[in-house]
Formats: sequence, structure tokens, C-alpha cells
Amino acid sequence: MNQLDRPIANPIVVLREEFDDWAILFNPDTAAAVGINPVGVAVWKRMDGKKNLKEIVQEIKTGFEEVPEAVFEEITTFVDKLAETGYVGYELKDNPR
Amino acid sequence: MIEQLKGKTELALSRQMRTPRTLDVEITARCNLRCRYCYFFNNPAVEYRELPTNEWLKFFAELGSLGVMNVALAGGEPFIREDLPELIDGIVRSRMRYSLLSNGSLISDEIAAFIASTGRCEYVQISVDGSSAEIHDSCRGKGSFEGAIRGIRTLQRQRINVAVRVTIHRNNVHDLANIAHMLLEELSLPSFSTNSAGYLGTCRLNADDILLNITEHQLATATLLHLAEKYPGRISANAGPFAEGQTWRRMEDARAQNAPAFPNGGRLTACGCPSNKISVRADGTIVPCSMLAHIELGHINQDSLLEIWQNSPSLNHLRNRQTIPLAGFEFCAGCAYIPYCTGNCPGLAYTLTGMVDHPSPDACLRRYLEEGGAIL
Repeated sequence: MNQLDRPIANPIVVLREEFDDWAILFNPDTAAAVGINPVGVAVWKRMDGKKNLKEIVQEIKTGFEEVPEAVFEEITTFVDKLAETGYVGYELKDNPR
Repeated sequence: MIEQLKGKTELALSRQMRTPRTLDVEITARCNLRCRYCYFFNNPAVEYRELPTNEWLKFFAELGSLGVMNVALAGGEPFIREDLPELIDGIVRSRMRYSLLSNGSLISDEIAAFIASTGRCEYVQISVDGSSAEIHDSCRGKGSFEGAIRGIRTLQRQRINVAVRVTIHRNNVHDLANIAHMLLEELSLPSFSTNSAGYLGTCRLNADDILLNITEHQLATATLLHLAEKYPGRISANAGPFAEGQTWRRMEDARAQNAPAFPNGGRLTACGCPSNKISVRADGTIVPCSMLAHIELGHINQDSLLEIWQNSPSLNHLRNRQTIPLAGFEFCAGCAYIPYCTGNCPGLAYTLTGMVDHPSPDACLRRYLEEGGAIL
């Protein structure tokens, strides 16, 4: 994935926040649902199509304690998995023609 | 960071949810039938009036903001509402899915096509209680069988999931094999579920003609266990003879082996619904469950559902019911099945004993055995 890509949370998907800051992402069109942990919730809330992944990761590093070194790779994998299953789309940079 | 809804997250969700996941909503107090065992009508605690479209739409928007995932539309007969498409549109706009509980007779091609077009319908449940008009109509009224089958076929043409519920009573207990054949083979439904008429609503007025006696209960259990072998995985039940037959077998095996108590055994743990769902009566009164329609928690669009869900003393009292030990009830004194028993449905406990915080005699294994029943 291009690091300049800007992920966008699918607006039809419902973020259903539960206790302990865990949450469910629920797609009412497909009835699919996945559970995400507090870091996943924080990433989800930042996927507004304006921030790229680097910026999101930087905000996560600032907002959470004891962030692992591989956080960028972990968040990238997380977002890629969500994208594969339709929870997330990408705002791609314009390609020069 | 991401997990399928199995394992850890599913485990976590067994705790108190921040908001309800599902709502049962009685969108109408009207029905075109008057079934002799209907749980809905003839409840002295209920005011039978219904709300205008805009009230429901406002409420559905609130549900959407709370992350509610599913709404089950019931009644009365939900298809009797002329504004049903508008109500469903409101659910869809609020990013929820829905299901409908119906007698089938008012389902037109037009409304079925609309439901299919939303892509959000989990299923439409149709009640079928007999393999012929003679048996089905005996409790539901003339013409209702034809209407139910016509409704199923209409839904099937639109490729909408059809969930059939068979309510077992004295008039159809000998017809179960024929019903299974009709539903699973002639109508090619993937499955159906069963329960039995309970001592609720209109059924209380006709109990002697409707409710299964011990012999009939045992016959229903034996027949359904046989049919479940014939049609593997295609017959299910959460209550009634089929469910009880399977539960009671596990309880008896555990007792005979002096096995440790079941995780949910020995206390009033049934049925768990107040931890993940809540109900609304047709008049907009919020209640814990349609079987506990007398416990009024508030009113839609006047009281915050979130506040009720998280802080209602009545609802929390009902949730804490699971801490009440069965051993403390005279009704359970000396029962060898206590470690394996959940106390059963609180709604039936209330209608049968007048107390919610009491085990229900309805699905009591000891009582069944004392009255001559046998475990199969």
C-alpha cells in the first residue's frame, strides 16, 4: 500500500463501542461484523480520508503509552484487512497522466 | 487489533453491553387474526394503541445513534401497517438490519419486493401450525393457513429468507411429521423452529384446550427428536418440547453422573435477554421483554433509551436475577436437578406464579417427571 494513501472508514459501517474501549464494526449491508481493540478504535476514528497512514500512526504514538516499535506495520496490516473486507476505502493521490 | 466475532470479543460481549444490540418492537396493536393462544392480546397490563409514523422514525434514529444492530418488527401483525415501507426506510437509513414476525396473510408481492430491495432484511418469520387448513385454522381462524402458505411463497419468489415458527399445541401435536414434510420437502425451506403455546395473553383464556399435557408433551418431544434425525440440522428450538427434551436429557445425564453444576445452573439465570436486548410495546412503552410487558421502564422519545439501558433500577434488578439461588425457593426444595437448572423463563414465571423472581413451573423437569413424564 502506498504510504500516501488516505484510508476512509466506510460510512455505512457502524462503530459499536463496547465496554473497556473495545468495539464492533458492523456492516448492515452485509451483516458482517468484527471486533476491534482500543487501538483499532482509535485508528478507525482517524480514517477520515484526510490523514494518511503515517499521520494516523503518529497520532496513535502520541495518544497511547507503550506503543510497540512495529506499530506502523501492525496498523498497516489492520487497515489492509479492513480494506479487503470492505470496511475501509482509500482516497488515492491523483496520478499524473 | 482485529478479531472475528468469536473468542475474545464474543466472550467480552457476554458481559453487560453499553447499548442493546437488538430491539424487539411491536409496531402495531392491530392484527387481522385472533389466534387462540396469542401471547400479545389479552394482557391486562398492556394498553392496545399504536404510534404514528413519525414517532417510530424518531426512535429508529435514536437506535441508530446508539449502534443498535437489529430491530425485530412484531405486533400484532406488522404487515397491517400501511406505512411499513416508510418505517423500514427509517431503519435502513439508521444503518440497522431488521426482521419481521408475521402470520403471512397480508404479504403482497409489492411489499415483498420492497423488502428484498432493501438488502437489510435478516428474515421474515411466518407462523405455521399445521400441514392443513383444518389443523392450522383451528387456532388461528378460517383462511389463515392459505394466507400463511401464500405469504411464504411470495417471500420465496423475492428470495427473502423465510423463518417458519411452529407453535405446538393440543390440536397439532399429532401433525408434526406432516408439518415437517410440508415445510422442508414441499416448500423446500432450509429449516424451521418450534416452541409451544405458553400461559400468556389470550392463551390464558383457552389454556385447557391449548396447552400440552404431559403425555402430549412427551409425544411432541419424541416426534421432534425423531424428525431431527431424519432432517439433520433443520429443526431447532429455544423453548418448548424439543428444547426441553434435549435440555432435560443433559440434566438427567449430569445428575446420574453426579457431575459438577452447569455454569449457568443453580440460579435464576434464564433467559439472559436483558443483557443484550430490550423491547418496545406498540404504545411506545419500553419494557424488558414482550413476555414481561408489565414492567414499564419508560417511553420512547420521552426517556433516553441509553439511560434506561444503563441505569434503570427495574432492568438492573432483572439482570441481577441471575444471582438468586434456586435452593432458596420452596418450589425447588430437595430437587436433585438444581445444579443443572436455570429456573426457566421469567415471563412464564410471572404469569404462572405472579412473581418474576421465581423459577417457572412451565419447564420444570422435576414437575414433569412427578406428573408421569419420561426423559427420552
